[in-house]
Amino acid sequence: MIEASFISYISLAILLFSIGIMGLISRKNIFIIYMSIELMLNAINIIFVTLSKYFGSMDGQIIAMMVMAIAASEAAIFLSLIVAMYRLKHSVNIDDFNTLKQKDTL
Amino acid sequence: MDIGLLSFIIFLPLIVSFILLVLPVGMKITRNIAFVTTIIVFLLSLSIFFKFQLTDYMQFREFHPWISSYGIYYSLGVDGFSMIILMLITTLIPLGYLFLWKTKKSKGYWASMLLIQTGVTGALLSLDLVLFYFFWESMLLPVFMIIGIYGTGNRIFSTLKITIYTIMGSLFMLVSILYLGVAFYNEFGVWSFQLSDLVQITTLSNFERTLLFFGFMIAFAIKIPLFPFHTWLMQTYSNSPTGGVFILSAIMAKLGIYGIVRFVLPLFPHQYVEFAPYFVGLGVFGLIYFGIAALMQQNIKRMFAYSSASHLAFITAGIFSLNAYGMTGAAFLIVAHAMATGGLFLLTGTIEYDLGIRSISGLGGIAKKAPFLTVAFALMLLCIVGLPGTNGFVSELLIIFGLFEYNHYVGVISALTVLVAASFMFWLFQRAILVKTDNDVSKMKDLDIKEIVGIFGLAAVIIAMGLYPHWFLYKIEPTIQHYLVDILKVGIGS
Amino acid sequence: MNSSLLAWIILIPFISSFVLGALYLYSISIKKINDTIFTFLAILAPITSFLIGVAFFLSLKNGATDYMYEPYTWLGVNGYIISMGFLGDKLSIFMVLFVTFIGSTIHVYAAGYMKGDEGYGKFFSYFNLFMASMLLLVLANSPIIMFIGWEGVGLCSYLLIGFYFTEPLNVVAGNKAFIVNRVGDLGFIIGLVIMFFYVGKLGFDYYALEDYISLVPTSILTIIGIALFVGAMGKSAQIPLYVWLPDAMAGPTPVSALIHAATMVTAGVYMVARFHFLYDLIPHVGEFMAYIGAFSALFAAIIAMRQTDIKKILAYSTISQLGYMFIAVGLGAYSTGLFHVFTHAFFKALLFMGAGAVIIAVGHEQNIFKMGGLRKKLPLVYSVMLIATLAISGIPPFSGFFSKDEILLKAYRHHEYLIYGIGLFTAALTAYYMFRLFFVTFHGKNYKQKEMHYLSWSMKAPLLVLAFGATVAGFVGLPEVFSQTNLIDEWLKAYSGGALHVEHTTEIMFMGISVVVGLAGIVVAYVKYFKYDFNKEIQESGIVYNKFYIDEVYHFIFVRGIQKLSRFISVDVDDGVIDKAVMSLCGGFINMGRRIGRMQCANTRVYAFFMLLGISSFSLYLILKLG
Repeated sequence: MIEASFISYISLAILLFSIGIMGLISRKNIFIIYMSIELMLNAINIIFVTLSKYFGSMDGQIIAMMVMAIAASEAAIFLSLIVAMYRLKHSVNIDDFNTLKQKDTL
Repeated sequence: MDIGLLSFIIFLPLIVSFILLVLPVGMKITRNIAFVTTIIVFLLSLSIFFKFQLTDYMQFREFHPWISSYGIYYSLGVDGFSMIILMLITTLIPLGYLFLWKTKKSKGYWASMLLIQTGVTGALLSLDLVLFYFFWESMLLPVFMIIGIYGTGNRIFSTLKITIYTIMGSLFMLVSILYLGVAFYNEFGVWSFQLSDLVQITTLSNFERTLLFFGFMIAFAIKIPLFPFHTWLMQTYSNSPTGGVFILSAIMAKLGIYGIVRFVLPLFPHQYVEFAPYFVGLGVFGLIYFGIAALMQQNIKRMFAYSSASHLAFITAGIFSLNAYGMTGAAFLIVAHAMATGGLFLLTGTIEYDLGIRSISGLGGIAKKAPFLTVAFALMLLCIVGLPGTNGFVSELLIIFGLFEYNHYVGVISALTVLVAASFMFWLFQRAILVKTDNDVSKMKDLDIKEIVGIFGLAAVIIAMGLYPHWFLYKIEPTIQHYLVDILKVGIGS
Repeated sequence: MNSSLLAWIILIPFISSFVLGALYLYSISIKKINDTIFTFLAILAPITSFLIGVAFFLSLKNGATDYMYEPYTWLGVNGYIISMGFLGDKLSIFMVLFVTFIGSTIHVYAAGYMKGDEGYGKFFSYFNLFMASMLLLVLANSPIIMFIGWEGVGLCSYLLIGFYFTEPLNVVAGNKAFIVNRVGDLGFIIGLVIMFFYVGKLGFDYYALEDYISLVPTSILTIIGIALFVGAMGKSAQIPLYVWLPDAMAGPTPVSALIHAATMVTAGVYMVARFHFLYDLIPHVGEFMAYIGAFSALFAAIIAMRQTDIKKILAYSTISQLGYMFIAVGLGAYSTGLFHVFTHAFFKALLFMGAGAVIIAVGHEQNIFKMGGLRKKLPLVYSVMLIATLAISGIPPFSGFFSKDEILLKAYRHHEYLIYGIGLFTAALTAYYMFRLFFVTFHGKNYKQKEMHYLSWSMKAPLLVLAFGATVAGFVGLPEVFSQTNLIDEWLKAYSGGALHVEHTTEIMFMGISVVVGLAGIVVAYVKYFKYDFNKEIQESGIVYNKFYIDEVYHFIFVRGIQKLSRFISVDVDDGVIDKAVMSLCGGFINMGRRIGRMQCANTRVYAFFMLLGISSFSLYLILKLG
């Protein structure tokens, strides 16, 4: 039944990834967006691990570990950035940070 | 690596300009050194004139690899046609300096003027199409600076308009050049952008050649400018400072004509002959159209812009007349018109400097205050009008001959040139210079000694060329016969 | 004689002009120079040229062949060479003689007339430049070199009409003269170009043209002939290009005398005579020319009858007399036409100089009805004016009689009875309007002039010389009935158009008719104006006084029309259509940029969506491509 479980793992990953994308696109709260990104990363991790198992190679698992490690360090930077941004604008709404937008067109 | 005479002529101003910009020297020293540089360049080109041999091939060749992997060479040379334009440029620029002497008090201005000289002589002398394109575009940059920084009125708009307009035209030319290069590579298996190589291409179809022909022609037509690509000219001329408009009218516009003769003619001889009727028609039409439009202009520079456009259209008709009269006349009119119109713009610049007025209705009664200026103005004006005894007459007569040989009716219509320029020029002279009006012109000063030397030197050349044109013309005769007989294969005319 | 002296005839006035011009500029901007120096330098030039001309004349008279001098190749294109060359044949030396002679006398006169003028040096510089150009025109050996002189005299005319250039009217008159002349030159240059292409390639000097002109088909010759005649119309002020000459009177009077009466305006006649080999082949064009001449003569005479400005009357009379000359040359009687050129130069120059003296004397008044009774106050001017007026009216034995009578006779002999009739009628009108001028100016009563201005000797002496000339000049062309040899016809044998033998009785009868007609005109003028009273102000008006409104019509059609066209082109077409098209192309790019710029909406989710879209489509592509 390895085939069936393979398909369900991949399906889970796709589901998680889609949820992450939907969250990324539709939500305004920076935390939710961050969580959606993490969700997508983890969906990719699941695929790595699944394929690693499927091909009988350890490479995928190593990469999954690396992704988790990077995600952790990224989380530290990201959260501190959010804190800094909150201090600036007193808001966690992503639409408040469009300072690079050109105000008046040509 | 030995440095040839032509390279020296091209790059001396550039080097001097960089040195002057880097060193902490003042405006006066910059100006004086720049002037001396142009004099040296003039003397060098004079030696070229005298060493020039009566043949039809390129002389003073220089040939060095530049970007050899793509067959782009640093390749220079002079033939009869470019030689007289070289003489023209190197003579006019120092004379122009004498007039600009007092008007501009900025170091950058003089450095830019030197850079322009490098650009125009480079474009004039290069025989490699990529090198030509390089100089062709680079001469625009100093002009951009001069108009944008030192201009008047809506100068930013004008400078953008001329730059974008001409660069847009040049892009068509660039595409055509690359296309030719690729075609050469496909046929011969090596890269080359040499003019002498590219003319050997045989694989291009007639349709491709026609497209490429127009690619080049658009670039040159915008620069000249031909109808209907002329509208940048009027705005640019009226807003640019004296030096800028002097360079633009006397030299750069002429390079457009030169480009047609140097590149379009040998590269697309078949198309050149095939489309000659349209360009002759366009030229004669432009002559009358611009001439009439000039009549009611209120701004002197704008009027001269239309006047220049009128004459340049006439020159274009001349070079497309496909016979020795028209071509020789066009070459001569390039020189004659550059001198006269350059002189007129310089004199107008003096008036503008003293009075700050450019509209005709704001002037009047200058003749009493400035007799030397009036005499000089009159001489230049007579050359524009084509009065016998000036070189303007000789060239216009030859072009009329050429056009008459080309087509009798066109020839007769083109004879209207004797009437067109006279009508607005004399009216201008009456209103702006002669007749006393209520306007206050008490601040008008006469020419100083430097300006008198400059402008009357120019006038002397104009008259000498009018009374003894043969001495100036016989050196370009072989070149023009070469164009007509060997390249266009139309014969030199009956 | 060395033929290179031909060049010096031209060069001397030219150098003089140059030196005078330079000295004048020096004088007004640096240090004042005494007028005597200018006078000396100025008068020396035409006299020297005259003397050289006399030497050539004597040499030719003693049977020397034509002199030809070609110092250098002027232009050589395509193997065809046009030389800067001068030709001293009987015709050109004849012209040189009378141009330099009249020129010298008018120089002397002008020295008095312009005395104390601010632009004294400038005046003589222009004057000598004119002399040089006129002599170049006359001595040139090819049409192109002639054209250099042709335009040169036009330029000098422009400069001298607008001599007092601060006054708008003068400059406008100068411009008008130049532009109208340029219309003529347009014709000239077209004729020149056509001629070059059909015969000029075999050689472009008069000899070669004369030899080969018969190779050209008549239709082309007709076009050339008419085109050249248009040039002559402009320069010699014939219908329809005569309008500039009356306005040209704005110039100082010596200018009117020299340029606009004696020499430059006759250049057209000279040109036709010079191209006699061409016009001989196309008699129908000649006939056309004669009719134009006749109508110009009549038309100008009618206008002159009502004018009040003394110089304008003389200007119209010049147009009228030039018409006579064109009758002659049109009918192939070139030497007769040139004979009238010759006599006319004397009496018309004299009339202008007399008029100038009058104008000076009464303090720059030109309206004849505001002067009068000058006979007592200016006896010398009175007598010379009488001679000149009699000469122009065709009363024997004064010069005008012989030349005019010969023209009329030639017209009759060519069976051009209409032209003859017009000529005769015009002769009556001429006598009438000239004596109207004369009587009103010199005989009217009650003229109250406070003080008369003094006339210097340098003004009086030339009057005497020319009065002598106006009296005797006619004797060089005596009709057959009086003398066996007509000197003019003898000298210009090649241009006499074949001898026309006339019965002596007929000839005398025609003379009688001419004299009677002239006297009739004088009598009418006498009745009407001899007892003219200054107090009874005469105000001329009507269509004739207003010159048939031709100037206004021209102004409306040409000047206004072209100005409107110009405004239309520069404002409506250039700015309104072409520049708008260019700028809207430019605007199109800007709009496009603005639209694309809107995608940068600063909304993170939209960016993310685009990213998703991009990645998905790229992935899809990869999947489809790689399978």
